[in-house]
Amino acid sequence: MAKGLVVSPDKCTGCRTCELACSYSKSDTFNPKDSAISVMFYEDVGLQVPMTCLQCDEPHCVKVCVVNALTKDEKTGVVNYDKEKCIGCKMCVSACPFGNMTYSIRLKEVIKCDLCKGDPQCVKSCNYGALQYKELDSTLDKRKIIANQFKEAFGEGAI
Amino acid sequence: MKVIINSKEYQGLPGETLMELAKRNNVDIPNLCHKDGIEGQGRCRLCMVEVREGKKTKIVSSCVYPIRDGLEVVTNSEKIIAIRKNIILLLLLKTPNNDYIKSLAEEYGVKAPDRYVDYKVKENCILCGLCVKACEKMGTSAISLINRGTTKKVSTPYDDPSKDCIGCGACAEVCPTNAITMTDKNRIRTIWNKEFKLVKCSVCGKTFTTDEALQFIESKLGKKEERICDSCRKKIISEKFKESFKYF
Repeated sequence: MAKGLVVSPDKCTGCRTCELACSYSKSDTFNPKDSAISVMFYEDVGLQVPMTCLQCDEPHCVKVCVVNALTKDEKTGVVNYDKEKCIGCKMCVSACPFGNMTYSIRLKEVIKCDLCKGDPQCVKSCNYGALQYKELDSTLDKRKIIANQFKEAFGEGAI
Repeated sequence: MKVIINSKEYQGLPGETLMELAKRNNVDIPNLCHKDGIEGQGRCRLCMVEVREGKKTKIVSSCVYPIRDGLEVVTNSEKIIAIRKNIILLLLLKTPNNDYIKSLAEEYGVKAPDRYVDYKVKENCILCGLCVKACEKMGTSAISLINRGTTKKVSTPYDDPSKDCIGCGACAEVCPTNAITMTDKNRIRTIWNKEFKLVKCSVCGKTFTTDEALQFIESKLGKKEERICDSCRKKIISEKFKESFKYF
C-alpha cells in the first residue's frame, strides 16, 4: 500500500509551522497563503484541523485539467502537478470538492500538495506528531481493525 | 536516440522535439511562445538553434524540430546569438514599453536606436499566439489571430464579445508579456470586451468564478456542482473532521 499523510487533529496544537514549512518549500516565501496545507481553528471544542490535499482516487482536478498538468501517479497514489504545463485556467481550483487547491496569482501557478516527492516538509516541521507520513492501512487491515472491535464486544467474557 | 547538444550527449525519447529534450535536461534555450503541454508553434523564433548534419549546418527553431539519432546541435554559437539579438531588437521596437521584453533586451545587451523607437507605443502583444493555443486547449477557441501584416492582432470574431468565452483567464495567465488584462470589479469580470457576472458562493456570499466556468466543470465531471467557493468547501470538510474528533 502507498504511503500517505496521516493527520491527527487531536494532536495538533495550531502552531501553523507546517504552513510556513510548506510555503517555503513550494514558493521560497514564508506566506501561509502560498501553502498547500492550512490549519483550521475550532476554539469552541479546542481542536485544530490541518487540511491538505487528500490525493483522491478519482480526482476531480485531474478530470477537468485540459493540458494534463495534473496527473494521478498510480504507483504512489499522489496527484502530481506540473507547473510548466499549467495554463492557469483555474478550473481545478473550482472543481476540487474539498477546496484544497489554491491559485497563487503572484507565482502564476497552482499550490497543491504532492507530498514533496516523498519527503513532506510539513511532517518534518511538526513537533507534535499531528502530521505523520506512513504506510496507509489497506482495506483488509481496516476490516481487521473493525472485526477486532466486534470480537472484543461479543467475544467470550464480554457478554 | 542520442543527440549531442553543445558537445554533450543526451538520450532523446521518440517523438520529442529539440526544445523538449533541452528542457528535460536543463539546457537553456530562450523562448517566448513555448509552453509544455501545448504543441510548439515556431512563432517567436527566439528558440533558433544550429543543427549540424555532416558538413552542412542549418538554423532551425527548436520547438518544432523533431529529434533524430545522431543529431548535433549548438544552442549558443555566435551566429545564433546574433539572430536572437536581431529578434529581440525587432520585438523591442514593437513593444518598447513592455517590462519583460525590456529585461530580455537588457540581458542580451540589445539597445534600440532612438530614432526608430516610438516610446508612445502602448503595445504589449508580441503575437506569439500562446493565448490562442491555450484557449484552443480549453476547447473554447474564443480568440484567434486575425488580419495580416501590420494590423495583425489577437481578438474575438469582429471584436465582439464572444459567446464561447468562459472567462477563465487562461489566456491572460499564459501571456509572456502580460498583454491581456482581466479585471474583477464590482462582481463583474471583464475580458475580451465581454462582461461576466461573477457567481456568488451560496455559503459565504463572496464571488469566486464565472457561471460559464462552472458549467465547463460540470460538463467535464458529468454532474451538477453546488455553487460553493473553495475556502467554504474546505471549511465544510474540516468541520466534518472536527465533529469526528470532538470527543477524543
